Amino acid sequence: MFSPRVLRAICTAALCFVLGSSKALAVGVPAGTDITNTAEVTYAIGATTATATSNVAVVTVAEILDVVVTRQSPANISVSANATQQEVLFAVTNSGNGPETFRLVMNSVIGSDDFDPTPSTPSIYFDTDGSGDLSPGDTAYTPGTNDPVLNPDTSVAVLVVNDIPGTVVDGNVGITQFTADARTGSGAPGTIYAAQGAAGTDAVVGMSGAAGQVTGQYIVGGITVNAVKSQAVVDQFGGTRPLPGARINYTVAVQATGSGSAANTIFSDNIPANTTYVPGTLRLNSALLTDAAADDAGEFSNTPGARVRVTLGTLTQASGTQSIQFAVTIN
Amino acid sequence: MFKGNRKVLGIFALMTCALGSQAFAQTQECIVLKSVAEIEKEVVSDKGEKSKVLVPAGKVIPGTEVIWSVTANNVCKQPSEKVTINNPVPEHMTLVPNSAFGPGSDISFSLDGQKFAPAGQLTVRENGADRAARADEYKHIRWVFKNPLQPGASAVARFRAVLN
Repeated sequence: MFSPRVLRAICTAALCFVLGSSKALAVGVPAGTDITNTAEVTYAIGATTATATSNVAVVTVAEILDVVVTRQSPANISVSANATQQEVLFAVTNSGNGPETFRLVMNSVIGSDDFDPTPSTPSIYFDTDGSGDLSPGDTAYTPGTNDPVLNPDTSVAVLVVNDIPGTVVDGNVGITQFTADARTGSGAPGTIYAAQGAAGTDAVVGMSGAAGQVTGQYIVGGITVNAVKSQAVVDQFGGTRPLPGARINYTVAVQATGSGSAANTIFSDNIPANTTYVPGTLRLNSALLTDAAADDAGEFSNTPGARVRVTLGTLTQASGTQSIQFAVTIN
Repeated sequence: MFKGNRKVLGIFALMTCALGSQAFAQTQECIVLKSVAEIEKEVVSDKGEKSKVLVPAGKVIPGTEVIWSVTANNVCKQPSEKVTINNPVPEHMTLVPNSAFGPGSDISFSLDGQKFAPAGQLTVRENGADRAARADEYKHIRWVFKNPLQPGASAVARFRAVLN
C-alpha cells in the first residue's frame, strides 16, 4: 500500500490505458474471404451485338499468422529481497487476419542477469480486471486449458509473476522472459500450414514469425516503506464510544528504512465502510492539505471509491517519519 | 441429268444458307471468355538461373500481387468486331498502376462503371476541388480491341492487383 509498488500499479494502469487506445494495426482482408472476378465481353458480328461473361475466377484469402508482444510495465521493477508475487505486465496482440489461439510461456532462467527470479505458482495470469497489477480478479493461465483466443487486431493483457530470492543485494538485476506464439504454427515467415487456417484456408507465417518474446527486469532496492496506523474515537458526548455520529481520528506514520531511496511514494487509504470522510481534515506533518486534487500533496477522491491520497515524493531513511492524519464520522 | 443435278444442288445450297442464318439468329456464343488468377513464383534452374513463372493463385495472403488474365477466344467462323472486354477491379484488391495490358487494345478506366477515360484523365472531387484520380482508385478497366478478332484467334487482357 505504501511502497513504490503503489505508483507502479497506477503507472502501469495509466500506461496500459494509453497504449490500449493508440493501437492502429492494419491486418488485411479476413482469412477465408473469397474474392471473385467475372469479366464480360461485348462484340459485334455484322449488325448483331452480343455479350458473353467469363467463368468466375476465385481467389481465397489465406490466414497470416502474426503476433506482437510488448511489455507494458516500466523497464525496471523495483523489488526487495524475499518479496513475493512481483509482476511484470505484457500485452499480446493478434496482428494477423484470422482468429488465432496463442500459447504463453514464461522463463526466469536467463543467463545475463545477477539472479534468477523464482516463478510464483501460478506464474502467468491474465489481467482480467484490467487493473494493471496482480489482483484477486485476475484469472490464472493454465497451458492448454485457457490459451487465449484473439480476433485480428485485438489483444490480451498478461501478468508474469515471480518471487525474489533472499540472497540478493541492492542493485542486483533479475530478468524474466515472456513468449507468445500462434498455436497453429510459427517459424520462418512464409511457412505454410496448409488448410490449417481460419475457415479451412491455408495459414501462412507472417513477418513476426508468429511468435514474440519480450523480457522484463527486476532491480533489487534496499529501501522499504512501512506505515503504522492508529485511531482515536471521539463521540458527540465527549466520550470514546464508537456511536453513529462519533468521529474517528486516524494517524498514519510512514517511515522508510534501509538504503537508497523510494521515489514517487504515494500514500493511499480507503475510507472505511460505514464511515464518511470529514472534509478538510487531511494533514501531512501537521500542515493542513486541501481535499481538491492537484493543488497540493493531498486529495480526497470518490473515484473509484472514497479514499484519501497523499504524495510523499522521494523518501529515504533520513526523511524521518511522515505523519498523515484524517478524520471520518461513523454513519 | 446434269441439268437435274444442278437444280438439286441449287436447292441444297439454298437450304444450307437458310440453316446457316437460322443458326446465327439463335446467337451462338462466338467468344468464349476465360478469367484466370495467377501469382508470380520465382524458380531457380539447375544452373542457378532465376526466373519467374506464373502459377494459379488459389489461396493468397494480404499484400500479395495477383495477376488477373482474361482471354477472349473466337470460336466461330466469322470475325468478331468491336471486341470490348470489361473487368471490374476485384473487391478487397487495389489496382497496381500501369499494370493494365492488352496488345492491340485501347485501355480505359472508370471510377463508377459509367464514365470511362484513359489513365490519368479521370478526376475526383476532394475538399471542394477536382484532382486526377489515382490508379489505386480505379474500379473498372476496359479494353477496346482495335481490330476484329479473327476466327480461332484469342485476345488477351491482363492487370495486376494487390490483395488488401
